[in-house]
Amino acid sequence: MSSREDILQSIRRATHVKYEKPDLKPLEEHALTYPNVVEQFYFMMKQVGGEAVFLEEGQDINKLIRESYPDAKRIASNLEGITCATFNPDNVEDPAELDGTDLAIIDGKIGVAENGAVWIEQDVKQRALYFISEKLVILLDKGRIVNNMHEAYKRIHTGEYGFGTYISGPSKTADIEQALVMGAHGARDVMVIIK
Amino acid sequence: MSTKHAKAAAGFLENKKQAAWYDETLWLVRAKRDKQSKEVPEWEELREMACETKLYSNSHLDELLVEFETNARANGAHVYWAKDADEYCNIVYNILHQHGVKHFIKSKSMLAEECELNPFLEHKGIEVVESDLGERILQLMHLKPSHIVLPAIHVKREQVGELFEKELGTEKGNSDPTYLTHAARKNLREKFLHAEAAMTGANFAVASTGEIVVCTNEGNADMGVSQPKLQIAAFGMEKIVPDRESLAVFTRLLARSATGQPVTTYTSHFRKPREGGEFHIIIVDNGRSKILADRKHIKTLNCIRCGACMNTCPVYRRSGGYSYTYFIPGPIGINLGMLKAPLHYYDNVSACSLCYSCSDVCPVKVDLAEQIYLWRQDLDKLGKADAMKKIMSGGMEFAMNRPWAFNAAMDLAPVGGEVLRMMGVTWGKGRDLPKFAKENFNEMWKKGKVK
Amino acid sequence: MKVGLFIPCYINAVYPQVGVASYKLLKSLGVDVDYPLDQTCCGQPMANAGFESESVEMARHFDRKFKDYDYIVGPSASCVVFVRDNYGRLLKAEEHHCASEERIYDLCEFIHDVIKPTSLQAKFPHKVSLQNSCHGVRLMGLSSPSELNIPYFNKLRDLLSLVEGIEIMEPDRPDECCGFGGMFSVEETAVSVQMGHDKVHRHMATGAEYIVGADSSCLMHQNGIIAREKLPIKTLHIVEILAAGL
Repeated sequence: MSSREDILQSIRRATHVKYEKPDLKPLEEHALTYPNVVEQFYFMMKQVGGEAVFLEEGQDINKLIRESYPDAKRIASNLEGITCATFNPDNVEDPAELDGTDLAIIDGKIGVAENGAVWIEQDVKQRALYFISEKLVILLDKGRIVNNMHEAYKRIHTGEYGFGTYISGPSKTADIEQALVMGAHGARDVMVIIK
Repeated sequence: MSTKHAKAAAGFLENKKQAAWYDETLWLVRAKRDKQSKEVPEWEELREMACETKLYSNSHLDELLVEFETNARANGAHVYWAKDADEYCNIVYNILHQHGVKHFIKSKSMLAEECELNPFLEHKGIEVVESDLGERILQLMHLKPSHIVLPAIHVKREQVGELFEKELGTEKGNSDPTYLTHAARKNLREKFLHAEAAMTGANFAVASTGEIVVCTNEGNADMGVSQPKLQIAAFGMEKIVPDRESLAVFTRLLARSATGQPVTTYTSHFRKPREGGEFHIIIVDNGRSKILADRKHIKTLNCIRCGACMNTCPVYRRSGGYSYTYFIPGPIGINLGMLKAPLHYYDNVSACSLCYSCSDVCPVKVDLAEQIYLWRQDLDKLGKADAMKKIMSGGMEFAMNRPWAFNAAMDLAPVGGEVLRMMGVTWGKGRDLPKFAKENFNEMWKKGKVK
Repeated sequence: MKVGLFIPCYINAVYPQVGVASYKLLKSLGVDVDYPLDQTCCGQPMANAGFESESVEMARHFDRKFKDYDYIVGPSASCVVFVRDNYGRLLKAEEHHCASEERIYDLCEFIHDVIKPTSLQAKFPHKVSLQNSCHGVRLMGLSSPSELNIPYFNKLRDLLSLVEGIEIMEPDRPDECCGFGGMFSVEETAVSVQMGHDKVHRHMATGAEYIVGADSSCLMHQNGIIAREKLPIKTLHIVEILAAGL
């Protein structure tokens, strides 16, 4: 008999009581909400070590990015209208070639007010881009900020993408004596542009 | 009558300064956890839902694992089943061997520790690099984790400075955490770029989508698996959750409980192999199905490995991770060790004052202290109850009811009252003995002195 | 309403004055209170050490001793909650219905929840630091456990607030274990002593003159530390304050 069958059989043999699946609806319905989700998200971004800025009506997004990162030389983006990008990461075959990217500008699908996380669905060729770049700019629609994780998961769909991730601020570690250090392996700096 | 834990703990406490730092630092993590949990008004309901969801999923494992497998295969992943540690190690090795992998990068996985994957692979000539900073430090020091979330919490910055000077060529005498972290970043970046395969554990495996969810702050898991074409993920089968709705419950609890953050920096959902790559998923039993049948201890399978029970445990904070004989320390480790091999790990059962703080702090409501109480009852049956302790536990009552015997034993040792004397001597280390009243309450009542 | 006074073994042997104060306090509140003679230990030390079977005899003895009272009241949260949570199960094995578990109260719990006095005669012009004992907090519910996200409450504080002149403090880490734990205190001596040391010093940091709690065992352990280290703080069972001046 295969291990698969063995394991399934021992599970069935060992399961004496079947517990019911709890109804999460009551919890979801009165889970934490905020009077102003956008303000809360802005606040939480700071809390998690990142930054959020508002793109004002008529403001030039490329100018905003350039001014925020004057030293960035290799800027990656495949987003339409991001003219400040110096290359399209989708033209890179080997993810290792993305090493040395100073800044990546990517698209965020959902923002979560309770924890500053932004949901990303892989829409670039190499998912490495999200982690290998020194700094990260995430574009996020104001109307796509939700209160909490329950709402977030309800809004995201399984879709075709093979990889999705919530990113909440810059990469960090406290593995040396609990001292907080930004930039363990991923982006050292994360800015969300709320538009 | 001292257990291995008690002896090791006494050793740990000899270095007073380090011991005090350890206690304070871990208490701060608990304090951060308290603050985060109190910002969520529905916290207690979240815990309840998490507990009930785990009880549901762990009592429907056969259905959910098959559902997971079907969905994962449809996503293009390969799925394997491993009955035990050996089979798991061999599956990983075979995948690596078939692909000619010599350089392998791994993110932190308690399952890999449990099954001793690293030594197995290294023995077969594969270089294994741990990518979590804490794990990397320990790997270079040839040490094991002393905490499941903060693996190198017991290592001082100066030790890391010296280690990195030797291993990574950092400046002599520089032990600044930022400097050292960034040196490791640079060094590990090279390892990431040249690894031929990468592996992660899993915080959650979602049945309805066939995806693996991995939570990290460093991004090491993501960085690892986004470079090479070969990705492996392995999970103990209790990591299964039914769907993304339940994932919402757990992701709200995990980081808040573990480190006092509202969420981990990265919560990554791996569903399909990378373009042109392969994704291999291993489902591991290794004794878990046996626990399913044990109604008294089934809730240990709720555990999401957040480490909150360690941070709150007054004994763990004052004895360190290495004082326990099982590789997972603290309240959950005491229980998991007993489930694994009681005759091997019974020494840890003494490491509990039954304060019940762990049961209250646990985000998935594992009844940790209640289970330790039950294990103590089993020691006698296992033949591992300490004979002296057994006599003493009776002696305590004996002494309280016959103070003259206790007093005599202390004064006239070792005539007769050896047990009582031992109790007094042990108690007397660091504490004065209680003074018995000249007349006890019972006597006073009899004489009509209580009015 | 007939109340049987339960005097646990530690109190009987080491702190009989706590028993006396308990009797006086209940009397002063108009309670018909009696003390059934020749009580024994409740069995908790053996059970917590892993010898539950040795507690069965004590449970049977206890249950018989108190069968004729409406309430069983004792000045020790830990012993009381042991009876409440375990006797039913322990005696079930003997096919004996436990009559004690539903009627037993810790003294503070009884006064707070059943008698509900709005005033007391006691005066105690001193600063005290509350010893929120683990079993009182987490098993009995004398106060809100610091781990849970529920509104703050503390029945010991409520009762002490009725005492004139008292100033009530709570230490940092308000309900961290003091390290007694019965057999734990001798089996894990080093950790137990360290926990006790830390606890006493946190109480001292409040500036209190007295550590005050509802469990004599925690106080006995901390008292041992205080005596050994010659520390400028004393322990007092809460009932001794509530009964002050009686």
